[in-house]
This record gives sequence, structure tokens and C-alpha cells, in this order.
Amino acid sequence: MRIKFVAVVAGATALAAVLAGCGKSGSSSGGGGSSSASGSGGSSATIASKLVLGGPPEFKTRVDGIPGLQKTYNVTFGNFKALDAGGPLTIGALKNGQIDAGDIFTTDPSIKADNFVVLQDPKNLYTAQNVLPLINKTKATDGVSKTLNAISAKLTTDDLVQLNVDVVSNKQDPDTVAKQWLSSKGLGTTGTDAAGTTLTVGSANFQENVVLAEIYAEALKAEGATVNTKLNIGSRETYIPGLQDGSIDLIPEYSGVLLQYFDKTATAETSDDVYSALQKAVPSGLTVLQQSQAQDKDAIVVTKNTADKYHLVSIADLAKSA
Amino acid sequence: MILADDNSSPLKLFSYFSNNHSQVLSWLWSHAWLSVVPVVIGLIVSLPLGWLARRYRWVYPPMVSLTGLLYTIPSIALFVVMPSLLGTRILDPINVVVALSVYTVALLVRVVADGLGSVPEEVNQAATAMGLTRFQRLLKVELPIAVPVIAAGLRVAAVSNVSMVAVAATIGVPELGQLFTNGFQLSVSGPYYPPILLGLILCVILALVLDFAIVLLNRSLTPWRRVVAAR
Amino acid sequence: MISFSGVITWLNDPGNWRDRVGQEGIFTQLLNHLQYSVVAILIALAIGLPLGLLIGHSGRATFIVSAVNALRALPTVGLLILFYVIIGPHIHGKGDAAFLIPTEIVLVLLATPPILANTYAGVQNVEPAARDAAAGMGMTSTQVLFRVELPNALPLIFSGLRSAALQVIATATIAAYVGLGGLGRFVYDGLASRDFPQMTGGAILVAILALVVDLLLALGQRYAVSRGVSGRFSKRALPADSRSGEVVQLEVASA
Repeated sequence: MRIKFVAVVAGATALAAVLAGCGKSGSSSGGGGSSSASGSGGSSATIASKLVLGGPPEFKTRVDGIPGLQKTYNVTFGNFKALDAGGPLTIGALKNGQIDAGDIFTTDPSIKADNFVVLQDPKNLYTAQNVLPLINKTKATDGVSKTLNAISAKLTTDDLVQLNVDVVSNKQDPDTVAKQWLSSKGLGTTGTDAAGTTLTVGSANFQENVVLAEIYAEALKAEGATVNTKLNIGSRETYIPGLQDGSIDLIPEYSGVLLQYFDKTATAETSDDVYSALQKAVPSGLTVLQQSQAQDKDAIVVTKNTADKYHLVSIADLAKSA
Repeated sequence: MILADDNSSPLKLFSYFSNNHSQVLSWLWSHAWLSVVPVVIGLIVSLPLGWLARRYRWVYPPMVSLTGLLYTIPSIALFVVMPSLLGTRILDPINVVVALSVYTVALLVRVVADGLGSVPEEVNQAATAMGLTRFQRLLKVELPIAVPVIAAGLRVAAVSNVSMVAVAATIGVPELGQLFTNGFQLSVSGPYYPPILLGLILCVILALVLDFAIVLLNRSLTPWRRVVAAR
Repeated sequence: MISFSGVITWLNDPGNWRDRVGQEGIFTQLLNHLQYSVVAILIALAIGLPLGLLIGHSGRATFIVSAVNALRALPTVGLLILFYVIIGPHIHGKGDAAFLIPTEIVLVLLATPPILANTYAGVQNVEPAARDAAAGMGMTSTQVLFRVELPNALPLIFSGLRSAALQVIATATIAAYVGLGGLGRFVYDGLASRDFPQMTGGAILVAILALVVDLLLALGQRYAVSRGVSGRFSKRALPADSRSGEVVQLEVASA
């Protein structure tokens, strides 16, 4: 008994010692705690103050998240629930009433299926999000670029919605859906443009990105490249370092969030501005190829009932008093 | 309710498997070695540590509680911190291997120490009387007698590793856990059971196979037990 | 890239301990974490303890112990997702029930096997002579169970409980993966917003919480276990405590 007790105390002491030691040895580097974003204030009760917002965990601190809603629209929700990035948790919670408003993506099939209302964003809080390939510079040969640019030239926002319906709602295999899309756009031909190149195509862990990665992979394969895939890699925090250290070479990305990731102070809003700012902001080892017109943006979405009840059309309406 | 959507029926897990078998099998394979390698590394590290804790009694309490402390660190946090500690790449499976080796050591050090301690004093005295040196005694008497206890610990480590490897899928390491995260992503418009159930079944099968392998190994390393049992 | 001093700064910042709008502080999340864990452990005790005593006492239906032990092979993440996907769509309205129920089920499934296995093994390991002596003194079967077998099994029951508590507290971190609170919130939020100090700070808090709870249970064990069983009255203290670890007993339980 005594031995055990001493053991536990010794363990606790050791932990304290380790903590203290780490404190001394730690290198410099800022970061620190998260920014506040409090500023509740607001004397008259707004519509937003009666509602619960759900979104990805980083929405609390993201420039276009809670701080952005407050700054751009003077909208402060009654509460925020950290869920996922437009995935099953956020959509499920919105559908079942655990949250009243959610941050989800504009190409999500459930917007149509569940009658969600996308609130308009007249002040462009949500910047352009054009789909484009982010690639390791050494792999961006002329042939590879030509193949991927041909895809960007044909991809539309409606295509994205349909790809999501096929994969998420109809449970079709992403690889099959990718091949179908390529041949429907006349890109299913074979060639030798990318012959001799070996690439690893990655994707984020949501289905739209997986299909886009499969489209890139299939097209490059058809042009003679040797292609590996590493799909469903976690979030940007995982796969961008993966691109930089060579774990993967190519990934489908979205211009606006990518710019935010590389440059937290970026202010560009329109597709063209974002794209040119992005070309400058991308770290030296990487590059972005031509962007498509297809966009998948963040949006604040509410249920039909909530929209009707409070007469909501735009995000700005949330700041009105209830 | 469960059978509402034909494509999402739990029974579709077989067709899901046949449609995706090459992907699923490669996940199964990496899951297997991500579970096994840490057990081997953990055992190699734990043997000398456990021996130290047995040999010098004052080492036992801090050693056992320090290694036990490692077990309280949430696995997801350990996976994510590893690249910074090791200088590895973020998607490197090495991160998972090292993290799980840490857990295995946390589990095994105490088991090894206790196993070596389970040798009856008379046996040790007899061995010394026969002229065995301390090292010979460890190798020829104490370690073999400790095998069943260590094997019991290994079984727990192997089975819990199979479960913990799956967590690494949430940060993108390709293994069977991908079936869970994929199934989750596809459950937006209603539960999509096939990948989730397939993942659970394959994990259980893998755990049972590893468990059985250790039982067999234990048996082949302790032939005298069967002789005794046969009498 | 890595900065442990940032972790200390994060932990020392009083602003991180207090609640803010849309972001609960460390105090609240600590309580949430403890609450999820305690509920799960209590339910697991309510299942595992009587079942283990009964099976150990009667020597019947021992397959239940092996069957429950096999639950350990089920991966926690997979179960959590499965239960959320099954239960979530049926719960409507505000509140955390849709996220809480699946999480608690998974934590209970995690905590029950060590408690059940150790209770069973503890009763099973009571010296037959002690049982016979009690019966010879005229004790009924129930009296033997509660006055002889239970007190003798307590050290093993406690080590099962401590092992369960440790696993539950470490694993309650994944509650944040399905949108709940608890200390895992800091781990997942830190991960999502590349806030390394927050993530590591959260992980350290989980480890400290597990340690403190283990310490309290160790004190409880010291108080609850009869000195006649623990051997504390004896000058030659037996290493009984160190020998009664859950792992070693597993073989007994599943043999």
C-alpha cells in the first residue's frame, strides 16, 4: 500500500518536474492562446442572440468565422457549438434542431434535400473559393500542368453539386464517378503528356475533395503518369505539411481558404484578386495551377422554419432585433 | 428504419468489401503492422526496464508510476505531437508506431517486473546452488518462468493497439479506421452502415488473430506447462 | 515549430480558465470531462460489480466474463461513430443528448470489462479454505459472499476500477470528436486551428486529471480494504498490491 502511495506521489512530482523542464527548454515562438472574439455587448436582443450556431472548431477564431460575423455584420450568435467542417455532425445538428444555423458548404446536396436556406452574403465575408490544383513545383511539368488545366477549364459549380450527389447521396464509388465526369466532358482520352512523371495525389477528408482528387489522378494516369493516391488525409493542418515534406505531391484546393492559410492578413475577395494574391502567397516549393470557375464556399445556412420565422434572407438580417 | 435505404443496409457490407477489396485489404495490412510492430518494440524496451525495476527495488515505484503515467496521455494528442518531437513527417506511420510503442511500454514494464518477481525464491536458490551466474539465472530460469505473465500482458497490449491504431485515421493515417471516418462522411443523409460495420468486424478479427498468435507463442515457449498438465 | 513554453503560457493564462461567449473555459471543460467519465464509471460499476460477484460466487456462466472481455477488441472510434449514426437522427431539439448518449455507451463498454473481469477473478481467487471455514461457522451462501468473498476480492476490484477509470478519462477526450465538451475540446480545437499550445495543454490536463483520480481511488482503496487482506499490519509487507494488477489477472479471467 505504502509503496503504491509513494509511487503515485513520485509520479506526480516527476510530471511537475517534466513540465518545469519543458518550460525552460522551450524555444521561442509566438502563437499563445486564442484570440478573444468576445465583445458580446448588444443591449437590445438581436435575432442572432437567440440562435445557436454550429460549425468547425476553428470557426471560433477564424477571420471569417465568429470574429468576422461580428466585425462585418455586427452579428453575435447566442452560442457556438464546435462540430465539423460541413460534415455529418453539422448537417445532422441543423436538421434535428441542436443548432439553428450552421456553417456548411454551398455545394452540399443536403441544402436542396433538407430545404436549408443559404443566407446571402452581400458584404462578401466569404471570399471566392475556386477549385484549383495545389502542386509540388518539381512535379508541375508542362504535361502535368496541361492535363490539370484542361480539367479546371471544364469544371463548374453545378458539376461539384452533381459529384456530391453521386458520391454522398447515391453512395457511388468516387473513382467511378471521376471517370464518368471525365468522359462526359470529353477528357477521357489517353495520351502521353504526363509520361515519365510519378505523383502522389492526396485529398482532404471530405467526399467532394476525394472525387476531385480521383479526377486529377485518373486524368494523369490516362496521360501516362504513374499515380499513387493518399485520400482522406485529415484537414489542411495535416496535408499542407504533407505537401511540403513530399508525402503527397498534388491536392485539389479552394483558392480563398488556401490564401487564408498562407496569409492570415489577406483581404482579397473576388475570384481574380484571390487568385493573384494566392500565387504570391504560396510557399516557394509549391505552386497553384489555373483555377476553375467551380466554387465551393462557406455559407451560413438556416432551416426553412427558422428563415420563415425570423424573415431571414441575408446574414445582415440576423443583426436585427427579434 | 435500418433497412430503409437499400444501399445503406448493413448486409451490403459484403458487396462494399468486394467493390473496394484492394483498398480495404491494404488498410487491413497497414493496420496489422501498425499494431504488431509497437508490441515488438515495446517488449524489447520493457524487458530491461522491467528487469531494472525488479533488480533494484527502489526503482520499481517511480518506474511503474512514470510509465503508467504515459498511458493517461490521449492517443490523438500523442499522434499529433509526435512529428514535433521526432522531426518526422506529419503523415509518417512512424509517428503511430512510436506513440503506440510508448503505450505498450507503459503497459508492459510493470508486467515484466511482476513476472520476473513471480519466480519462487526456492527456485532461484536452487539455480544459484547449481552454479548459475546471475545472468544465466535470468535467462534460463526467471525469464522462462515469467513468460506466461508477460504473454498475458502482450495480449492486452496487442488488442488495445488494434483499437488505438484506428484513432489515427482521424488525422489521415491510412488504416482500417478510414472505414469509420469514410462511413461517417457518407452518413449525412442517413446511416451508411457497410464501411462502419466492415471496419468493426475486420478490427475484431485482427485482434483475435493477434491474440491467438500470442497464445500459441506462449505455449511453444513453455513446453513444461503441458507436461505438468498432462499428469 | 514546437514551443513548450507556449503550453505553460496557455495553462497559466487565467482567460483560458474562464468561460467566454461560445467558448467554455478550462474549469467548465474539466467538470464536463469529469462528469462524462464519472457517469460512465458508475454505470459500468452497476453492471460489472454485481455480475462479477454473482458469476464468481456461483461459478456459473463464466462465458459472460470472456464475452465481455472480447468487447475490448472493438475499436472505440468505430463504435462511437456507429452509435452516433444510429442514435443521432432520432434525437431532436436543443441539448447534447444526441452526442452524449453515444459517447456514454462507448465509455461504459470500455469500463465494464476490467471491472467485471477483476471482480470475478477476485472472488474466484478466494482461498477455498476461507470459504469452507465461513460455511463451517454457519454462514449462509449470501453471508459468505458479502462477508468473506467480497472483502477478499476488494484489492482486485479496486485495481479493475482504477484501470477502468484511467481508460475512461483518457478516452473521454474523443467526446469532442462528436461535438461534446470536455478537455478533448482543447485537443481538437487546437488541432483544427493549428494552436499547438492549446492542444498540448489540453492533453496535459487530461493526464493530470487521470492521475488525480487514480490517486483518490488509491486512497479509497487504502481506506476500504481490510488490513487483514492487504497485509498492512504485517511487518513483512507482501508485495500483494503490486501483484494484483489487472493485466496479470486477465489470464485467470479468460483462461
